[in-house]
Amino acid sequence: MKKFSIIILFILMLSLVGQTVTFSQVLPKVPRHETLIVDALHGRLANPKDFNFWKPGVSVGNGAQQMLFDGLWYLDSQTGKVINALAQSEPVYENNFRKMTVKLRKGIYWSDGKPFTADDVVFTVDYLMKHPGMSYSDALNRYVSKVYKKDNYTVVFELKESVPAFHYLFTSIVYATCYIMPKHVFEKVADPLKFEFNPPVSLGPYVLKQYDPQGYWWLFERRVDWRRTSVGQIYGMPQPKYVLFIYYGPDEKKVMAQAQHQLDLIFDLTPESWEILRKSNPYSRVWYKDFPWAWMDDVRARIMAMNLEKPPFNNKDVRWALTLATDIVDVVTSGFDGIARVNPLWICATESLLKEYYLPMENWLKNFTLEDGFKPWDPTVPDRIVDYAKKRGYVVTGNPREIFGIGWWKYAPDVAEKLLVKNGFKKVGGKWYLPDGTPWKITITAPANFEIHATRLAFAVADQWRKFGIDVNVETVEAGPFWNKWNLGDFEVGSYWEVPATDFYTFVQGYHSRFYKPTGQVATSGNQIRWKSAKLDKLLDELVKLQPESQKAKAIVSDILKLYVEEMPAPVFIINLKFNSQDHYYWTNFPTSDNSYMAPVWWWGQFKFILPHIKPTGRK
Amino acid sequence: MNLLKRYIIPRLIQYFIVIFIGVTVVFLVPRFTPLDPVVTVLNRMTSYGAQYLDPSAIEKLKDTMMELYGLKGSIWEQYLGFWKRLFKGDFGPSLSIFPTPVISIIANSLPWTAGLLVVVAILSWVIGNILGGIAGYYADKKWSKFMSIIAMSIYPIPYYIMALVLLILFAYIFPIFPMVGGYSIGLTPSLSLEFIFNVIKHATLPALSLILIGIGWWFLSMRSLTSTIVAEDFVTYAEVMGIPSRKILFQYVMRNGLLPQITNLALQIGGIFSGSLITETVFSYPGLGQLLYMAINNGDFNLIMGIAVLSIIGIATAALVIDLLYPLFDPRVRYR
Repeated sequence: MKKFSIIILFILMLSLVGQTVTFSQVLPKVPRHETLIVDALHGRLANPKDFNFWKPGVSVGNGAQQMLFDGLWYLDSQTGKVINALAQSEPVYENNFRKMTVKLRKGIYWSDGKPFTADDVVFTVDYLMKHPGMSYSDALNRYVSKVYKKDNYTVVFELKESVPAFHYLFTSIVYATCYIMPKHVFEKVADPLKFEFNPPVSLGPYVLKQYDPQGYWWLFERRVDWRRTSVGQIYGMPQPKYVLFIYYGPDEKKVMAQAQHQLDLIFDLTPESWEILRKSNPYSRVWYKDFPWAWMDDVRARIMAMNLEKPPFNNKDVRWALTLATDIVDVVTSGFDGIARVNPLWICATESLLKEYYLPMENWLKNFTLEDGFKPWDPTVPDRIVDYAKKRGYVVTGNPREIFGIGWWKYAPDVAEKLLVKNGFKKVGGKWYLPDGTPWKITITAPANFEIHATRLAFAVADQWRKFGIDVNVETVEAGPFWNKWNLGDFEVGSYWEVPATDFYTFVQGYHSRFYKPTGQVATSGNQIRWKSAKLDKLLDELVKLQPESQKAKAIVSDILKLYVEEMPAPVFIINLKFNSQDHYYWTNFPTSDNSYMAPVWWWGQFKFILPHIKPTGRK
Repeated sequence: MNLLKRYIIPRLIQYFIVIFIGVTVVFLVPRFTPLDPVVTVLNRMTSYGAQYLDPSAIEKLKDTMMELYGLKGSIWEQYLGFWKRLFKGDFGPSLSIFPTPVISIIANSLPWTAGLLVVVAILSWVIGNILGGIAGYYADKKWSKFMSIIAMSIYPIPYYIMALVLLILFAYIFPIFPMVGGYSIGLTPSLSLEFIFNVIKHATLPALSLILIGIGWWFLSMRSLTSTIVAEDFVTYAEVMGIPSRKILFQYVMRNGLLPQITNLALQIGGIFSGSLITETVFSYPGLGQLLYMAINNGDFNLIMGIAVLSIIGIATAALVIDLLYPLFDPRVRYR
């Protein structure tokens, strides 16, 4: 008994010691309640002291771009709204999009006290153009003939040709943009490719206070003059005095850290890790308060990419047959436990794009027929996912169509069979044979040990196609070779996630046949599925002449989406989902489904605009 | 002179041949994989927003990067350039963190890897061998059997599980030790006592996890060596002569058992240059293992080569040193 008491006492002492250490071990010198702790996107950085964003390959998602850099415009993917940041207003085009004038915001200062003016913008463009090898150098040289300031807060770009989307080069649509350089720093730099921009002079609302030379964390402190930044002028004071970006390691550690309230915002978790966190920390939540929890407005969606140069995938009927041989509800429930928003079109079914493209196209989708008159559209999918969720005992609040999508393609194996038979395929003993008489075998390439949802989709779809009678194998591949296979076209079917969202306009340009690269050559400009279509070329030729925001451009985007449905180059399944968990213990009012004021993207440059919205809970 | 000619010079020649072949293989292997560092960087850029570049601008960027990365010449030209740089101690720029020199990236992580792994290797070697030797010599004692059971139970535990259990116990349930990094946020690296203790505190769990597994291995191997040596005639003779058992254990039995253990220790220390990936991942501890993993995934040929070349040189040098020192430990080699 005496021994047992000693052990209990020892454990109690340990936990008491632990409790005193819990809230001090991460930030011994910084007040926790004034600090927001964010998961570092890139993990550990091998060179954490390099803040020269304009060099190719420098990673800035671990806090640098969110805290220190600023751009002219940001397009928020959640709301579809533009934030005029360093630019006072939207760009003004003249001369058939050969001249663009930008009015800059006044009263913005660099963190070292120098004013931000048109000189910085002109310098950035000139400097990048003069230094080949720097990011954006080739693009700016391609378009810009001259850039100059009209006055201290007006910049004029003269372009070599008509470029209606030139401002997209300076708009953060996904993740980052061409941020503006401090002229007074870079003008003294002889070789910018060797320059590390350290200490960085900030144009954002924070300055770098300290970083780990080993690349695990970066601590930023709010600028005393935060009012003299775009964030301060538009939304007011960013609430946390300090923001710490830190990489804790694998999911298990992130879960432990958030359960201990030592990590406020997580980039992404596996569903299993989220389940554990949800049960261990009542303050943790993702986008939805209840099922399906996850944020499903990301800017990419999962496809079964087919290399259209490889038979039989070069046949539209085969691609449609594979689509109709897939029971999407079964895929979503068996592979994702119902946590998914179906995404039938070649544009992400985000909150804003559902309204902008999906709903206006709904009638067309209902009436769309395949050549034999079959109508493949199935609007019952969201309700069937809800039924599954209810059977599992989950609570679903909200409109199923907004949460789970407005529909997908019917599960019609009989129609799929007709399409294949029409093309010379044969089904013998429940197994499909190609027109040349050999058994039909498909290999699906999927990621190994990363992008777990893509891997799950591959296995779920493989099950569907096996059930239909095809011999399907899933080959999982590490990141390096996975992407090389993608670019070289070294795949039959691949579980990738190349579907555009608010960036549709520029994304699709790479699908023009003038950029087409046959299998075996690197397709860096997109179109790794090797889709070639004269109709698409024609639409793209029209689109490139229009400003992306115009109604005409949006009408052409809709036409491209319809063409994609007709051709079905690669079935799109579900929008990417993220368990980017938030801890509401120290801070609250992060963007959520109840208050979707902005996309919850802690790793994008626009995160700086979320910071004035969040509120301290008062816990210390 | 005879020793130099018959023993030292052939081993030195062998040493340089091993390094030459090893380095050549390390140069060739990444180039024969399907990885393309330029495409990998472009992938990263396009997935992070550079798709707003016109497709033709991306093509141009690809050419520019091939030029900058020094990947435009033939493989033979690249190979010659590589050796030229290597003689100057330069591994070239990292391709994934261009243009940071590989040598400075390695230099940043190496002290952490070396500090942790050398200490761990020596500590677990010393503790494991002493305990294993004692347990093997007094094999019939109860405590010896108990220690053997413990070692046999610990050693087969998968390292990842062991590390995770320690982490959950001492960083989560009883949050005594930190979960991440080499030292606390807010501290500035210095030689102050506060900083040194902080570094030790951060290294404790990673070290403990490695030491526990390491001790298990050294214990079991030394115990098995000792139990064989104990049965040899010279030990029986020493016992008959009435030499104290402690002296027999340490000067007769363990000294003989140490020879293969020293070789293993040297090779283990020589191999630290490739880091300890799982330890670094689980404890988020700085080191070379994660760097190597990242380099392989990104097709960063230069960084892969930098770490691999150091590792080859480390292991080859350790083997050479052991070869040269063996005569000191083992008179049988000296008199051969």
